[in-house]
Amino acid sequence: MISDRMVEVLRLLQDSDESTDLFDVSAAGADALAVDGLAVSLVTAAGTSELVCCSDESTRRFEDLQFTLGEGPGPDALRTGALVWVPDLAKVRAQDWPALAMEAPALSARAVFCFPMTIGAIKVGVLTAVRRTPGPLTSQQGDDALILAAALTARCLGSGEPRLDPPDPAGSPHSLLHAVVHQATGMLSVQLALPLPQALLRLRAHAYSSGRSITDISQDVVDRRLRLDHNGNGDGTPPTVVEKD
Amino acid sequence: MTREQRVTEIFVEVADSLIDDFDLIDFLQQLSVRCMELIDVAAVGILLADQHDVLQTMAASDEHTRLLELFATQHDQGPCVECYKSGQARTNINLTDPKVSARWPQFAPRAAETGFVAANALPLRLRGRVIGTLALFQNDPDPLSPEDITLAQALADIATIALLQQRTAAQSEVERSQLQHALTSRIVLEQAKGILAERWHVTVDQAFAAFRAYARAHHHQLAQLAREIADGAFDTTQIPQPEPPLSQN
Repeated sequence: MISDRMVEVLRLLQDSDESTDLFDVSAAGADALAVDGLAVSLVTAAGTSELVCCSDESTRRFEDLQFTLGEGPGPDALRTGALVWVPDLAKVRAQDWPALAMEAPALSARAVFCFPMTIGAIKVGVLTAVRRTPGPLTSQQGDDALILAAALTARCLGSGEPRLDPPDPAGSPHSLLHAVVHQATGMLSVQLALPLPQALLRLRAHAYSSGRSITDISQDVVDRRLRLDHNGNGDGTPPTVVEKD
Repeated sequence: MTREQRVTEIFVEVADSLIDDFDLIDFLQQLSVRCMELIDVAAVGILLADQHDVLQTMAASDEHTRLLELFATQHDQGPCVECYKSGQARTNINLTDPKVSARWPQFAPRAAETGFVAANALPLRLRGRVIGTLALFQNDPDPLSPEDITLAQALADIATIALLQQRTAAQSEVERSQLQHALTSRIVLEQAKGILAERWHVTVDQAFAAFRAYARAHHHQLAQLAREIADGAFDTTQIPQPEPPLSQN
Protein backbone atom coordinates (compact mmCIF):
# COMPACT_ATOMS: atom_id res chain seq x y z
CA MET A 1 0.00 0.00 0.00
CA ILE A 2 1.29 3.45 -0.88
CA SER A 3 2.24 5.84 1.93
CA ASP A 4 0.79 9.35 2.25
CA ARG A 5 4.20 10.85 1.62
CA MET A 6 4.60 8.98 -1.64
CA VAL A 7 1.12 10.11 -2.69
CA GLU A 8 2.46 13.66 -2.34
CA VAL A 9 5.50 12.80 -4.47
CA LEU A 10 3.27 11.35 -7.21
CA ARG A 11 1.16 14.50 -7.12
CA LEU A 12 4.32 16.54 -7.60
CA LEU A 13 5.24 14.31 -10.55
CA GLN A 14 1.80 14.76 -12.06
CA ASP A 15 1.97 18.54 -11.70
CA SER A 16 5.42 18.84 -13.26
CA ASP A 17 5.37 18.95 -17.03
CA GLU A 18 8.99 19.56 -18.00
CA SER A 19 11.80 17.10 -17.51
CA THR A 20 13.71 19.66 -15.44
CA ASP A 21 11.01 19.39 -12.79
CA LEU A 22 12.03 15.81 -12.19
CA PHE A 23 14.77 17.16 -9.93
CA ASP A 24 12.15 18.23 -7.37
CA VAL A 25 10.41 14.90 -7.75
CA SER A 26 13.61 12.95 -7.12
CA ALA A 27 14.46 15.07 -4.08
CA ALA A 28 10.97 14.64 -2.63
CA GLY A 29 11.06 10.94 -3.50
CA ALA A 30 14.38 10.51 -1.68
CA ASP A 31 12.87 12.14 1.41
CA ALA A 32 9.79 9.93 1.25
CA LEU A 33 11.93 6.81 0.95
CA ALA A 34 14.34 7.97 3.68
CA VAL A 35 17.33 7.58 1.36
CA ASP A 36 20.02 10.14 0.60
CA GLY A 37 19.46 10.32 -3.12
CA LEU A 38 17.48 9.16 -6.11
CA ALA A 39 18.61 8.98 -9.70
CA VAL A 40 16.73 8.27 -12.90
CA SER A 41 18.71 6.93 -15.85
CA LEU A 42 16.98 6.34 -19.15
CA VAL A 43 17.82 4.03 -22.01
CA THR A 44 18.65 6.02 -25.15
CA ALA A 45 17.72 4.99 -28.67
CA ALA A 46 21.32 3.79 -29.05
CA GLY A 47 20.83 1.43 -26.12
CA THR A 48 23.11 3.30 -23.73
CA SER A 49 21.98 4.74 -20.40
CA GLU A 50 21.78 8.40 -19.71
CA LEU A 51 21.38 10.01 -16.32
CA VAL A 52 18.48 12.42 -16.68
CA CYS A 53 17.90 13.39 -13.11
CA CYS A 54 19.70 13.07 -9.83
CA SER A 55 18.87 14.54 -6.46
CA ASP A 56 22.38 14.81 -4.97
CA GLU A 57 26.09 14.55 -5.64
CA SER A 58 26.91 11.20 -4.02
CA THR A 59 24.14 9.52 -5.96
CA ARG A 60 25.43 11.10 -9.16
CA ARG A 61 28.90 9.79 -8.42
CA PHE A 62 27.60 6.29 -7.86
CA GLU A 63 25.48 6.38 -10.99
CA ASP A 64 28.37 7.69 -13.10
CA LEU A 65 30.68 5.05 -11.72
CA GLN A 66 28.51 2.03 -12.41
CA PHE A 67 27.64 3.12 -15.90
CA THR A 68 31.30 3.96 -16.61
CA LEU A 69 32.36 0.57 -15.33
CA GLY A 70 29.45 -1.01 -17.15
CA GLU A 71 28.61 -3.13 -14.13
CA GLY A 72 26.62 -2.83 -10.94
CA PRO A 73 23.06 -3.08 -9.72
CA GLY A 74 21.78 -0.48 -12.22
CA PRO A 75 23.08 -2.20 -15.37
CA ASP A 76 21.93 -5.55 -13.93
CA ALA A 77 18.44 -4.24 -13.22
CA LEU A 78 18.23 -2.92 -16.77
CA ARG A 79 19.52 -6.10 -18.34
CA THR A 80 17.40 -8.54 -16.34
CA GLY A 81 14.34 -6.40 -15.65
CA ALA A 82 14.54 -7.55 -12.02
CA LEU A 83 14.92 -5.57 -8.81
CA VAL A 84 18.55 -5.48 -7.72
CA TRP A 85 19.04 -4.41 -4.13
CA VAL A 86 22.38 -4.09 -2.41
CA PRO A 87 21.69 -3.26 1.25
CA ASP A 88 25.41 -3.26 2.05
CA LEU A 89 27.86 -2.25 -0.67
CA ALA A 90 30.79 -3.32 1.53
CA LYS A 91 29.62 -6.90 1.12
CA VAL A 92 29.56 -6.85 -2.68
CA ARG A 93 31.33 -9.97 -3.89
CA ALA A 94 34.13 -9.55 -6.39
CA GLN A 95 32.68 -12.25 -8.63
CA ASP A 96 29.45 -10.29 -9.05
CA TRP A 97 30.91 -6.91 -9.94
CA PRO A 98 34.73 -7.04 -9.78
CA ALA A 99 35.42 -3.44 -10.72
CA LEU A 100 32.64 -2.04 -8.56
CA ALA A 101 33.75 -4.17 -5.60
CA MET A 102 37.19 -2.52 -5.87
CA GLU A 103 35.76 0.98 -6.00
CA ALA A 104 33.07 0.49 -3.36
CA PRO A 105 35.17 1.28 -0.26
CA ALA A 106 35.94 4.77 -1.59
CA LEU A 107 32.29 5.64 -2.10
CA SER A 108 30.04 7.45 0.34
CA ALA A 109 27.15 5.31 -0.88
CA ARG A 110 26.68 2.29 1.36
CA ALA A 111 23.36 0.85 0.19
CA VAL A 112 21.89 0.93 -3.32
CA PHE A 113 18.49 -0.17 -4.53
CA CYS A 114 17.72 -0.37 -8.23
CA PHE A 115 14.24 -0.57 -9.71
CA PRO A 116 13.94 -1.35 -13.40
CA MET A 117 11.61 0.98 -15.27
CA THR A 118 10.08 -1.41 -17.77
CA ILE A 119 6.79 -2.20 -19.45
CA GLY A 120 7.17 -5.84 -20.37
CA ALA A 121 9.97 -5.99 -22.95
CA ILE A 122 10.10 -2.19 -23.16
CA LYS A 123 13.08 -0.92 -21.22
CA VAL A 124 12.63 2.70 -20.25
CA GLY A 125 15.35 3.09 -17.63
CA VAL A 126 16.22 2.45 -14.03
CA LEU A 127 15.42 4.22 -10.77
CA THR A 128 18.27 4.08 -8.26
CA ALA A 129 18.01 4.87 -4.57
CA VAL A 130 21.25 5.48 -2.67
CA ARG A 131 21.76 5.59 1.08
CA ARG A 132 24.93 6.49 3.00
CA THR A 133 24.10 3.95 5.70
CA PRO A 134 23.79 0.19 5.09
CA GLY A 135 20.58 -1.70 5.70
CA PRO A 136 17.52 -2.95 3.84
CA LEU A 137 14.51 -0.91 2.77
CA THR A 138 11.42 -1.41 4.88
CA SER A 139 8.49 -3.15 3.28
CA GLN A 140 6.69 0.20 3.05
CA GLN A 141 9.68 1.84 1.38
CA GLY A 142 9.86 -1.06 -1.07
CA ASP A 143 6.18 -0.64 -1.96
CA ASP A 144 6.57 3.12 -2.34
CA ALA A 145 9.67 2.84 -4.50
CA LEU A 146 7.99 0.35 -6.83
CA ILE A 147 5.05 2.68 -7.26
CA LEU A 148 7.34 5.64 -7.92
CA ALA A 149 9.29 3.58 -10.47
CA ALA A 150 6.04 2.68 -12.26
CA ALA A 151 4.91 6.31 -12.33
CA LEU A 152 8.29 7.45 -13.64
CA THR A 153 8.20 4.71 -16.27
CA ALA A 154 4.91 5.97 -17.66
CA ARG A 155 6.20 9.52 -17.47
CA CYS A 156 9.63 8.95 -19.00
CA LEU A 157 8.53 6.66 -21.82
CA GLY A 158 9.22 8.77 -24.86
CA SER A 159 11.35 11.39 -23.14
CA GLY A 160 13.03 13.36 -25.85
CA GLU A 161 9.98 12.98 -28.06
CA PRO A 162 7.68 15.98 -28.30
CA ARG A 163 5.72 16.19 -25.07
CA LEU A 164 1.99 16.06 -25.00
CA ASP A 165 0.80 19.03 -23.09
CA PRO A 166 -1.02 19.06 -20.69
CA PRO A 167 0.29 15.85 -19.10
CA ASP A 168 -1.29 12.95 -20.84
CA PRO A 169 -4.02 11.31 -18.78
CA ALA A 170 -3.73 8.23 -20.99
CA GLY A 171 -0.19 7.83 -19.71
CA SER A 172 -1.03 7.00 -16.14
CA PRO A 173 0.19 3.59 -15.00
CA HIS A 174 -3.36 2.40 -14.52
CA SER A 175 -4.17 2.84 -18.19
CA LEU A 176 -1.46 0.30 -19.00
CA LEU A 177 -3.03 -2.50 -16.98
CA HIS A 178 -4.95 -4.18 -19.73
CA ALA A 179 -3.49 -7.07 -21.68
CA VAL A 180 -5.02 -5.58 -24.80
CA VAL A 181 -2.75 -2.52 -24.59
CA HIS A 182 0.34 -4.71 -24.68
CA GLN A 183 -1.08 -6.82 -27.51
CA ALA A 184 -1.84 -3.70 -29.54
CA THR A 185 1.67 -2.40 -28.86
CA GLY A 186 3.11 -5.60 -30.33
CA MET A 187 0.82 -5.41 -33.36
CA LEU A 188 1.59 -1.78 -34.05
CA SER A 189 5.32 -2.38 -33.80
CA VAL A 190 5.00 -4.82 -36.70
CA GLN A 191 2.54 -2.69 -38.69
CA LEU A 192 4.72 0.40 -38.49
CA ALA A 193 8.10 -1.35 -38.24
CA LEU A 194 8.78 0.52 -35.00
CA PRO A 195 10.44 -0.60 -31.79
CA LEU A 196 7.96 -1.43 -29.01
CA PRO A 197 8.46 1.83 -27.05
CA GLN A 198 7.63 3.97 -30.08
CA ALA A 199 4.66 1.75 -30.87
CA LEU A 200 3.30 2.30 -27.36
CA LEU A 201 3.88 6.04 -27.74
CA ARG A 202 1.92 6.06 -30.98
CA LEU A 203 -0.97 4.32 -29.25
CA ARG A 204 -0.85 6.79 -26.43
CA ALA A 205 -0.61 9.78 -28.77
CA HIS A 206 -3.56 8.50 -30.75
CA ALA A 207 -5.60 7.97 -27.60
CA TYR A 208 -4.75 11.48 -26.52
CA SER A 209 -5.53 13.17 -29.82
CA SER A 210 -8.78 11.25 -30.30
CA GLY A 211 -9.94 11.79 -26.72
CA ARG A 212 -10.50 8.08 -26.17
CA SER A 213 -8.90 5.79 -23.65
CA ILE A 214 -5.80 3.84 -24.63
CA THR A 215 -7.68 0.63 -23.76
CA ASP A 216 -10.41 1.42 -26.30
CA ILE A 217 -7.89 2.38 -28.97
CA SER A 218 -5.95 -0.80 -28.28
CA GLN A 219 -9.08 -2.93 -28.54
CA ASP A 220 -9.77 -1.41 -31.96
CA VAL A 221 -6.21 -2.17 -33.09
CA VAL A 222 -6.41 -5.76 -31.84
CA ASP A 223 -9.83 -6.24 -33.49
CA ARG A 224 -8.35 -4.68 -36.65
CA ARG A 225 -10.90 -1.91 -36.74
CA LEU A 226 -8.13 0.67 -36.59
CA ARG A 227 -4.76 0.96 -38.26
CA LEU A 228 -2.33 3.78 -37.58
CA ASP A 229 -0.21 4.73 -40.56
CA HIS A 230 3.31 6.08 -40.77
CA ASN A 231 2.37 9.75 -40.98
CA GLY A 232 3.25 11.83 -38.02
CA ASN A 233 6.02 9.57 -36.91
CA GLY A 234 8.20 11.32 -34.39
CA ASP A 235 7.18 14.85 -35.36
CA GLY A 236 4.42 15.13 -32.82
CA THR A 237 1.59 15.73 -35.25
CA PRO A 238 -1.52 13.69 -34.59
CA PRO A 239 -1.32 10.42 -36.48
CA THR A 240 -3.52 9.97 -39.49
CA VAL A 241 -6.06 7.25 -39.05
CA VAL A 242 -7.18 4.80 -41.64
CA GLU A 243 -10.43 3.31 -40.45
CA LYS A 244 -11.07 -0.12 -41.87
CA ASP A 245 -14.28 -2.08 -41.78
CA MET B 1 -10.49 -42.35 -13.08
CA THR B 2 -11.85 -41.26 -9.73
CA ARG B 3 -11.36 -37.72 -8.62
CA GLU B 4 -9.06 -38.90 -5.87
CA GLN B 5 -6.80 -40.62 -8.39
CA ARG B 6 -6.88 -37.54 -10.56
CA VAL B 7 -5.90 -35.32 -7.61
CA THR B 8 -3.01 -37.59 -6.72
CA GLU B 9 -1.86 -37.57 -10.31
CA ILE B 10 -1.99 -33.80 -10.44
CA PHE B 11 0.01 -33.38 -7.27
CA VAL B 12 2.69 -35.69 -8.65
CA GLU B 13 2.67 -33.69 -11.87
CA VAL B 14 3.04 -30.49 -9.87
CA ALA B 15 5.96 -31.81 -7.84
CA ASP B 16 7.65 -32.84 -11.07
CA SER B 17 7.10 -29.44 -12.60
CA LEU B 18 8.53 -27.38 -9.77
CA ILE B 19 12.12 -27.88 -10.76
CA ASP B 20 14.79 -25.38 -11.70
CA ASP B 21 13.95 -23.24 -14.70
CA PHE B 22 10.38 -24.41 -14.89
CA ASP B 23 8.08 -22.32 -17.00
CA LEU B 24 6.01 -20.27 -14.57
CA ILE B 25 3.33 -18.97 -16.90
CA ASP B 26 2.84 -22.29 -18.61
CA PHE B 27 2.73 -24.00 -15.22
CA LEU B 28 0.09 -21.61 -13.88
CA GLN B 29 -1.91 -21.99 -17.04
CA GLN B 30 -1.91 -25.78 -16.77
CA LEU B 31 -2.74 -25.51 -13.08
CA SER B 32 -5.77 -23.41 -14.04
CA VAL B 33 -6.90 -26.05 -16.51
CA ARG B 34 -6.46 -28.84 -13.93
CA CYS B 35 -8.38 -26.83 -11.37
CA MET B 36 -11.20 -26.25 -13.87
CA GLU B 37 -11.40 -29.99 -14.62
CA LEU B 38 -11.13 -31.19 -11.03
CA ILE B 39 -13.65 -28.83 -9.55
CA ASP B 40 -15.79 -28.91 -12.65
CA VAL B 41 -16.17 -25.19 -13.18
CA ALA B 42 -16.32 -23.23 -16.45
CA ALA B 43 -13.18 -21.12 -16.10
CA VAL B 44 -10.31 -20.56 -13.71
CA GLY B 45 -7.88 -17.68 -13.44
CA ILE B 46 -4.82 -16.94 -11.33
CA LEU B 47 -4.37 -13.28 -10.46
CA LEU B 48 -1.40 -11.61 -8.83
CA ALA B 49 -1.43 -8.18 -7.18
CA ASP B 50 0.99 -5.59 -8.55
CA GLN B 51 2.64 -2.73 -6.68
CA HIS B 52 -0.56 -0.69 -6.92
CA ASP B 53 -2.47 -3.53 -5.25
CA VAL B 54 -4.22 -4.09 -8.54
CA LEU B 55 -4.87 -7.69 -9.54
CA GLN B 56 -3.21 -8.75 -12.79
CA THR B 57 -4.03 -11.96 -14.59
CA MET B 58 -1.08 -14.33 -14.61
CA ALA B 59 -2.82 -17.25 -16.26
CA ALA B 60 -6.27 -18.57 -17.12
CA SER B 61 -7.74 -21.94 -18.02
CA ASP B 62 -8.71 -20.44 -21.34
CA GLU B 63 -6.46 -17.70 -22.63
CA HIS B 64 -9.05 -16.10 -24.86
CA THR B 65 -8.78 -12.36 -24.76
CA ARG B 66 -12.44 -12.12 -23.85
CA LEU B 67 -11.83 -14.01 -20.63
CA LEU B 68 -8.60 -12.14 -19.88
CA GLU B 69 -10.47 -8.87 -20.21
CA LEU B 70 -13.18 -10.10 -17.85
CA PHE B 71 -10.47 -10.76 -15.30
CA ALA B 72 -9.02 -7.33 -16.03
CA THR B 73 -12.30 -5.62 -15.17
CA GLN B 74 -11.70 -6.89 -11.65
CA HIS B 75 -9.08 -4.21 -11.01
CA ASP B 76 -11.34 -2.36 -8.61
CA GLN B 77 -14.38 -4.57 -8.13
CA GLY B 78 -15.56 -8.14 -8.21
CA PRO B 79 -15.10 -11.27 -6.13
CA CYS B 80 -11.31 -11.34 -6.52
CA VAL B 81 -10.90 -7.79 -5.28
CA GLU B 82 -13.03 -8.54 -2.23
CA CYS B 83 -11.10 -11.71 -1.56
CA TYR B 84 -7.76 -9.93 -1.98
CA LYS B 85 -8.70 -6.96 0.21
CA SER B 86 -10.24 -9.06 2.99
CA GLY B 87 -7.85 -12.01 2.75
CA GLN B 88 -10.91 -14.27 3.03
CA ALA B 89 -12.28 -16.74 0.52
CA ARG B 90 -15.41 -15.53 -1.27
CA THR B 91 -17.33 -18.55 -2.39
CA ASN B 92 -20.59 -19.40 -4.14
CA ILE B 93 -21.42 -15.87 -5.13
CA ASN B 94 -24.58 -15.73 -7.20
CA LEU B 95 -23.80 -13.32 -10.03
CA THR B 96 -27.44 -13.16 -11.12
CA ASP B 97 -28.48 -11.71 -7.77
CA PRO B 98 -29.43 -8.02 -8.37
CA LYS B 99 -27.68 -7.05 -5.14
CA VAL B 100 -24.46 -8.52 -6.49
CA SER B 101 -24.75 -6.75 -9.85
CA ALA B 102 -25.45 -3.49 -8.07
CA ARG B 103 -22.28 -3.94 -6.03
CA TRP B 104 -20.14 -4.61 -9.13
CA PRO B 105 -21.69 -2.55 -11.94
CA GLN B 106 -18.82 -3.10 -14.40
CA PHE B 107 -17.89 -6.64 -13.53
CA ALA B 108 -21.31 -8.28 -13.19
CA PRO B 109 -22.69 -7.50 -16.68
CA ARG B 110 -19.47 -8.62 -18.36
CA ALA B 111 -19.49 -11.84 -16.38
CA ALA B 112 -23.10 -12.43 -17.38
CA GLU B 113 -22.23 -11.78 -21.05
CA THR B 114 -19.61 -14.49 -20.82
CA GLY B 115 -22.24 -16.83 -19.41
CA PHE B 116 -21.01 -17.01 -15.85
CA VAL B 117 -23.67 -17.22 -13.15
CA ALA B 118 -21.58 -17.99 -10.07
CA ALA B 119 -18.12 -17.02 -8.88
CA ASN B 120 -15.61 -18.06 -6.23
CA ALA B 121 -12.36 -16.41 -5.23
CA LEU B 122 -9.69 -17.91 -2.99
CA PRO B 123 -6.65 -16.11 -1.61
CA LEU B 124 -3.06 -16.87 -2.64
CA ARG B 125 -1.59 -16.75 0.85
CA LEU B 126 2.01 -16.07 1.75
CA ARG B 127 2.77 -16.02 5.47
CA GLY B 128 -0.18 -13.96 6.60
CA ARG B 129 -0.12 -11.81 3.48
CA VAL B 130 -2.33 -12.21 0.42
CA ILE B 131 -0.47 -11.85 -2.87
CA GLY B 132 -3.27 -12.63 -5.30
CA THR B 133 -6.32 -14.79 -5.89
CA LEU B 134 -7.55 -17.91 -7.60
CA ALA B 135 -10.84 -17.23 -9.39
CA LEU B 136 -13.36 -19.91 -10.32
CA PHE B 137 -16.33 -19.11 -12.53
CA GLN B 138 -19.32 -21.37 -13.09
CA ASN B 139 -21.89 -21.65 -15.86
CA ASP B 140 -24.24 -23.46 -13.49
CA PRO B 141 -25.53 -22.18 -10.14
CA ASP B 142 -24.74 -25.38 -8.16
CA PRO B 143 -22.76 -24.34 -5.10
CA LEU B 144 -19.28 -25.77 -4.64
CA SER B 145 -19.00 -28.27 -1.79
CA PRO B 146 -16.68 -27.70 1.18
CA GLU B 147 -14.43 -30.42 -0.35
CA ASP B 148 -14.31 -28.49 -3.62
CA ILE B 149 -13.29 -25.36 -1.77
CA THR B 150 -10.58 -27.16 0.22
CA LEU B 151 -9.17 -28.62 -2.96
CA ALA B 152 -9.28 -25.25 -4.72
CA GLN B 153 -7.44 -23.67 -1.80
CA ALA B 154 -4.76 -26.36 -2.03
CA LEU B 155 -4.33 -25.53 -5.71
CA ALA B 156 -4.16 -21.82 -4.83
CA ASP B 157 -1.36 -22.63 -2.37
CA ILE B 158 0.48 -24.50 -5.11
CA ALA B 159 0.22 -21.43 -7.34
CA THR B 160 1.84 -19.39 -4.55
CA ILE B 161 4.66 -21.91 -4.21
CA ALA B 162 5.22 -21.81 -7.96
CA LEU B 163 5.35 -18.01 -7.98
CA LEU B 164 8.08 -18.07 -5.36
CA GLN B 165 9.98 -20.85 -7.03
CA GLN B 166 11.23 -18.96 -10.05
CA ARG B 167 14.82 -17.99 -10.25
CA THR B 168 15.73 -14.35 -10.65
CA ALA B 169 18.94 -12.42 -10.52
CA ALA B 170 17.87 -10.44 -7.50
CA GLN B 171 20.30 -9.88 -4.66
CA SER B 172 17.75 -9.50 -1.91
CA GLU B 173 14.08 -9.13 -1.23
CA VAL B 174 13.73 -12.25 -3.26
CA GLU B 175 9.99 -12.67 -2.91
CA ARG B 176 9.13 -9.16 -3.96
CA SER B 177 11.45 -9.46 -6.89
CA GLN B 178 9.95 -12.77 -7.95
CA LEU B 179 6.42 -11.45 -7.91
CA GLN B 180 7.50 -8.36 -9.84
CA HIS B 181 9.28 -10.52 -12.37
CA ALA B 182 6.20 -12.67 -12.86
CA LEU B 183 4.08 -9.60 -13.63
CA THR B 184 6.64 -8.32 -16.14
CA SER B 185 6.82 -11.71 -17.86
CA ARG B 186 3.10 -11.68 -18.39
CA ILE B 187 3.26 -8.27 -20.09
CA VAL B 188 6.06 -9.44 -22.38
CA LEU B 189 3.88 -12.40 -23.32
CA GLU B 190 1.04 -10.07 -24.34
CA GLN B 191 3.43 -7.94 -26.42
CA ALA B 192 4.73 -11.05 -28.18
CA LYS B 193 1.16 -12.21 -28.90
CA GLY B 194 0.53 -8.90 -30.67
CA ILE B 195 3.73 -9.12 -32.68
CA LEU B 196 2.92 -12.64 -33.88
CA ALA B 197 -0.73 -11.87 -34.59
CA GLU B 198 0.24 -8.99 -36.84
CA ARG B 199 3.05 -10.87 -38.55
CA TRP B 200 0.76 -13.79 -39.33
CA HIS B 201 -2.48 -11.85 -39.85
CA VAL B 202 -4.34 -13.91 -37.28
CA THR B 203 -6.10 -13.07 -34.02
CA VAL B 204 -4.04 -12.73 -30.85
CA ASP B 205 -5.71 -15.86 -29.51
CA GLN B 206 -4.71 -17.88 -32.59
CA ALA B 207 -1.22 -16.45 -32.36
CA PHE B 208 -0.91 -17.46 -28.74
CA ALA B 209 -2.11 -21.01 -29.39
CA ALA B 210 0.51 -21.49 -32.12
CA PHE B 211 3.20 -19.84 -30.02
CA ARG B 212 2.46 -22.02 -27.01
CA ALA B 213 2.35 -25.21 -29.08
CA TYR B 214 5.76 -24.36 -30.52
CA ALA B 215 7.23 -23.46 -27.12
CA ARG B 216 6.02 -26.69 -25.56
CA ALA B 217 7.20 -28.85 -28.45
CA HIS B 218 10.65 -27.29 -28.34
CA HIS B 219 10.92 -26.97 -24.55
CA HIS B 220 11.16 -23.20 -24.58
CA GLN B 221 9.85 -21.26 -21.61
CA LEU B 222 6.91 -19.11 -22.69
CA ALA B 223 8.26 -16.00 -20.96
CA GLN B 224 11.77 -16.47 -22.30
CA LEU B 225 10.66 -17.10 -25.87
CA ALA B 226 8.25 -14.17 -25.68
CA ARG B 227 11.08 -11.91 -24.59
CA GLU B 228 13.30 -13.04 -27.44
CA ILE B 229 10.48 -12.37 -29.88
CA ALA B 230 9.81 -8.95 -28.39
CA ASP B 231 13.52 -8.12 -28.55
CA GLY B 232 13.69 -9.23 -32.19
CA ALA B 233 16.20 -11.91 -31.22
CA PHE B 234 14.18 -14.88 -32.44
CA ASP B 235 13.37 -15.79 -36.03
CA THR B 236 9.61 -16.27 -35.81
CA THR B 237 9.43 -18.00 -39.19
CA GLN B 238 10.54 -21.08 -37.26
CA ILE B 239 7.13 -21.23 -35.62
CA PRO B 240 4.47 -22.95 -37.74
CA GLN B 241 1.83 -20.39 -38.59
CA PRO B 242 -1.62 -21.05 -37.23
CA GLU B 243 -4.44 -22.14 -39.53
CA PRO B 244 -6.80 -20.89 -40.69
CA PRO B 245 -5.57 -17.36 -41.25
CA LEU B 246 -7.93 -14.54 -40.45
CA SER B 247 -9.63 -13.29 -43.60
CA GLN B 248 -8.17 -9.99 -44.73
CA ASN B 249 -10.82 -7.36 -44.13
